[in-house]
Amino acid sequence: MFKITMFQTGFEFWSFEFWYCFEIRASDFEFIINMEVAILSGVNSKFGELWETSPRDLVRDVALQAISEAGIKPSEIDAIFVGNMLSGMLAQQEHLGAFFAEELGLPVSAIRVEGACASGGLAVHLGVCAISSGMYRNVLIVGVEKMTDYKPEEVAHALMGAGSDVEREAGATFPALYALMAQVHMTRFGTTSEQLAWVAVKNHYHATLSENAQFPFAVSVEQVLKSSMVAYPLHLLDCSPITDGASAVVLSINSKHQIPNSKTVNIIASAVATDTLGLAQRKDLTTIDAAVRAGKMAYEQAGIGPSDIDVCEVHDCFTIAEVLAMEDLGFFKKGEAGEKIAAGVTTLGKGKKLIVNTSGGLKAAGHPVGATGVKQIVEVFHQLAGSAGKKQVEGARLGLAHNVGGSGATAVVHILKSLK
Amino acid sequence: MISPVKIWRNQKKTRNLLGREGKILTWTKVFVPPSGFEGQAPYIVAIAQLSDKTHCTAQLVDYEEKQVKIGQKVRTVLRKTRDPGTEGVIPYGIKFRPI
Amino acid sequence: MQKVSILGYGVYVPCYRLKIAEIASVWGKNGKDVERSLGIIEKSVAGVDEDAVTLAYEAATSAVARAGIKASNLEVCLVGSESHPYAVNPTSTIVAELLGVGKNYMAADLEFACKAATAGIVATCGLIGSGMVEFALVVGTDTAQAKPHDILEYTAASAAAAFVVGKHTKNSLADIIETASFSSDTPDFWRRDGVRFPSHGGRFTGEPAYFAHVLGASLRLLGKTHTKSHDYHYCVFHMPNGKFPRAVGKRLGFTDRQLAPSLIFDHIGNPYSASSLTGLAAVLDMAKPGERIFMVSYGSGAGSDAFSLQVGKGIIARRNKALKFSDYLTRKTTISYVQYLKLRGKI
Repeated sequence: MFKITMFQTGFEFWSFEFWYCFEIRASDFEFIINMEVAILSGVNSKFGELWETSPRDLVRDVALQAISEAGIKPSEIDAIFVGNMLSGMLAQQEHLGAFFAEELGLPVSAIRVEGACASGGLAVHLGVCAISSGMYRNVLIVGVEKMTDYKPEEVAHALMGAGSDVEREAGATFPALYALMAQVHMTRFGTTSEQLAWVAVKNHYHATLSENAQFPFAVSVEQVLKSSMVAYPLHLLDCSPITDGASAVVLSINSKHQIPNSKTVNIIASAVATDTLGLAQRKDLTTIDAAVRAGKMAYEQAGIGPSDIDVCEVHDCFTIAEVLAMEDLGFFKKGEAGEKIAAGVTTLGKGKKLIVNTSGGLKAAGHPVGATGVKQIVEVFHQLAGSAGKKQVEGARLGLAHNVGGSGATAVVHILKSLK
Repeated sequence: MISPVKIWRNQKKTRNLLGREGKILTWTKVFVPPSGFEGQAPYIVAIAQLSDKTHCTAQLVDYEEKQVKIGQKVRTVLRKTRDPGTEGVIPYGIKFRPI
Repeated sequence: MQKVSILGYGVYVPCYRLKIAEIASVWGKNGKDVERSLGIIEKSVAGVDEDAVTLAYEAATSAVARAGIKASNLEVCLVGSESHPYAVNPTSTIVAELLGVGKNYMAADLEFACKAATAGIVATCGLIGSGMVEFALVVGTDTAQAKPHDILEYTAASAAAAFVVGKHTKNSLADIIETASFSSDTPDFWRRDGVRFPSHGGRFTGEPAYFAHVLGASLRLLGKTHTKSHDYHYCVFHMPNGKFPRAVGKRLGFTDRQLAPSLIFDHIGNPYSASSLTGLAAVLDMAKPGERIFMVSYGSGAGSDAFSLQVGKGIIARRNKALKFSDYLTRKTTISYVQYLKLRGKI
């Protein structure tokens, strides 16, 4: 294996300087870009039923704050990527790139990205690609969703846009699709409703330490099991809520030259994989294979394994989803995640190694669909930068964010590294 | 209103799925329906493996409680699916009936 | 004129049942009295996702299976109903498309209260007898509705019966020997366009309506064929309730034994356009080759189509190729009045 540093040229282009290097492996001629994308800042809005806050308000507040905390001038932003799923279907508003570029007064490259509930993660991924390609230097990523302006049935119906037409025709909802997976996992591995409830209990506990979470209060296993049935065997408290919210991060090219005000956190892996749109066509109903593959690619890009991760945010749209995630990402053996989570192995203050969903996850922090993937990056960023306050996982150096679209048709995995 | 063109394009798919036998791989009971399905709730949604090994998602109908289980043999039957409202073309599709 | 036969037949009855006593209790009537006067204890109710199309489709697949032909052999598709899902858009083409008939066929929807489908059978006798077509499908299907508290609420039921009609062969299931019809303008039972439930003339639906036309067509047919009631093994009459078919049978000289196998009303109520045809199917489920069947439908408005049939040799081999009427009686779920209102979209 030899390392060629090619094109180590710097040149002036509209007052920017940029450098990049390639690493070629002779053994398989694999072309890898050495990924070092710096996260300069991460901001979440309050998540919840924000009656008086419009999508413009949501984005403007988090975006301006993120730019400010990044220590750069707004005019230094080269591009804006917006993650959002439902604006078109619910509000008849498309063209969100231009929409928010105007709101921010930044008429730069602005692109809206959609991948159902993975829209936010995909927007981050695109930001990473944009910077790694060398075309953009500083990128603003925004994830936003406004869901409470509409009736729950309308929202449930619109969310099923993430599934297949056959699923819509069968009257399936997202709780139903994950319930179908839960049934098989429970039958095959003996995972119990009680174990699933522990996911909600853990994430609610984490949310009590979070000022922006939608539900910053504890729940008990009994409360979860007693809550009304939404789609058997998932109860109301097994399901993430309908939420308004926005999150923003500023990504920047990380070069040998120190960027002023840069924090010490880089994205070192960003991987996306897809699978069949409809749940019925998956190979195994107890595995979100797209997450397995995205996870593997991310570990490979980062040159690490699951046991190296100190803190992570996984996509717990339903309690069963966190169980699946922990197995899909290689943290626990297949069939064992339920037991492990119930034992507190991933709970802040209890767990020794890997702490999961300190934000409160989707369940307790809320799930403004397009924002979630970005929120996860914000949470892991603060954990690795040491600014997570009451939720701080001591000594966290490597973090992972796992964002899933639909019932598993898209999965996005990011790995972040603290440089401290 | 559902597009009549989409309903028309789907005829062949529906026709080819009718009268097939299969068995339930997994099921759930939906208590909180999306719009268009309020009048039917609660109902069972299941994934079944058909005799040609393909999988299909559909509601389970005409069942007794004891037939709602993984492994239950089913046949695909023709039923109305989504609510077309008072004016729309009526969509017909597949549902599963226990054998 | 080519001899015409029934080459295949099939029925479908939805699995839900509403007990007459349950309906009676809702309206403060004595269940036993109503059961006795109407001669019925429960009626069939279609599921919330069933309609005349889905019922017709099921019956038609059975008919095609018994006929042993491919759906694409069919050149005619006629569907008679009082509950076609559309006022404009044919049920017949939806059923034919899903059956896989293809495009090379003639289709039409028929309406004549409860005798819409038998009119279709008379028509196919001409189409096939003339050599214009070889195979035709006729279906009678209804998900009958009735106004709450109306007497018809106890009997209006759901079912479908389908027949493949074609040229006589030695393997026919039953030959159509002769038909005769009797019609007049008699408004005994009607439903205006856009109105949800039908209205009727009370006792006017009896003597001047049902009896006049069933007897009228029967006498015409007996005359045409030079036969008497004792020349037949079975008789089938339209069954709006338990009393009328028994009464008219008696008046024509038929015995209880000749009538009994056709009395599907006693089990499921009155499925309107499928009534007499389901009765005929129930008879074909057990009749022997050579036996003769006398069938008369009745449609309000009003008219009757009478048929003289003879069971063919093919019935033995083909009868078990699909579900019988009695099979549908074992597969049933009792529902409450409230569930009935939910299923029929009344709430």
